Amino acid sequence: MSVTGDGGWYPLMLSADLEPGTAAGSTMLGRDLAVWRDGLGQAHVWDDRCPHRGMRLSLGFVREGALACLYHGWRFGADGRCVHIPAHPDLSPPGTIRAAPLRVAECWGLIWAAATDESGTLPEDDPALAAVPWVPVRSLRIEAPWQGVAGAIGLPEGELAAVLDRDVDGRVLAALLPVGEGACMLHLLAAEPAEVARLHDLADWGQDVRARAEERAGQVFLSGAVA
Amino acid sequence: MSALVLYDDELDEDCYRARLFLSFLGLQARRVVVDVVPGGEQDSAAFRAVSPAGVLPVLRIEGQAVCGAEAVLLALAHGRAEWLPEGAVDFARVAHWLQFAGGPLRAAVLMRRASLFAGAGDEQSARRRAAVAALRIVEDHLAHRRLDGGLWVVGEGPTVADIALFPTVALCRDWGEEHSAYPALRRWVRAVRALPGFVTMPGIPDYG
Ligand code: FES
Repeated sequence: MSVTGDGGWYPLMLSADLEPGTAAGSTMLGRDLAVWRDGLGQAHVWDDRCPHRGMRLSLGFVREGALACLYHGWRFGADGRCVHIPAHPDLSPPGTIRAAPLRVAECWGLIWAAATDESGTLPEDDPALAAVPWVPVRSLRIEAPWQGVAGAIGLPEGELAAVLDRDVDGRVLAALLPVGEGACMLHLLAAEPAEVARLHDLADWGQDVRARAEERAGQVFLSGAVA
Repeated sequence: MSALVLYDDELDEDCYRARLFLSFLGLQARRVVVDVVPGGEQDSAAFRAVSPAGVLPVLRIEGQAVCGAEAVLLALAHGRAEWLPEGAVDFARVAHWLQFAGGPLRAAVLMRRASLFAGAGDEQSARRRAAVAALRIVEDHLAHRRLDGGLWVVGEGPTVADIALFPTVALCRDWGEEHSAYPALRRWVRAVRALPGFVTMPGIPDYG
């Protein structure tokens, strides 16, 4: 089974973690992205750089169907074009002032982005995935190389997402976002029907995966007294 | 009630805990500014006479000086069951998180101070790891709460536990931790921001 198809599609976050009218940041292989959802529910993924002065768009907020930059309030519509400049409210901004949108897909409870225009289409008809609705469990940031995590949870070689059949009860969809060389985000979803107790178990299992992967990578995060 | 007085430093997240709660409660306090950076006024004899350990914030309430953020939150929440639950279990949970805010979470407070005021970098250190670990404890807790349909740290609504934790979580970008690594915290930060009376401080975006 190949959900990432001919490559180039990355699972950025759980759909449930991007509420309508909000913006968030994400990092895909070191590339910083602004992810936002308009009032109609459509998700958008842009490079995290404001066309005005290059500040981070992911810190912005959604107003009137557009993403507003936190710094000087320039607003950018769904196609990335600037639609409003507060200092010049009567000006209609030239179409060349434009944020850089990536291709986006949303399926199996995840928001996906294509790394390049050459990335094929995301195959949304995978029978193992399409058969059931997926309940979001949680995402975890792991300070370890994604390849090690992929191997540890049993993702097929070269895949960033798969239905797992080990370690945990019931069917689990795991998706992995390589954040950079030494960090990734693990997204977990459970097949319906899913008891709440099972969702908690799965969330705990994610914490175990995180702890073991980080220990292997020599990254141990222990809370406690510090000076 | 006699007038409230708050000994306050604008850039101090502990003082922000107090300002935020006062604002949620719709209470005014007369503000006495303590110049910590660069003034070092927290160590002056005058301030030590108010707060013997030099701890900020200090709230003068009914003539009594209450020192430290968690103590101020408790003093203000007294008799307000919506902010300080009366049931034994939820009260115990709030106590747990107040202690966490005043204990392990200090690693993050110290990281921010070192980054902002002492120019410390982003490099890995025991303190940074402990700070990240403390944020993760809150993240993991809220991720589990969400699976039960809960949004807040304890119970069905915001309590002083949320206020004790909020500033440190909301300000973690000041020491280089991005909210994108903490989806459960991000969702909860939005919920706190949406409460009536919410106020920001420098470092926490104001969407206007
Ligand atoms: S940098 Fe975005 S509006 Fe100026």
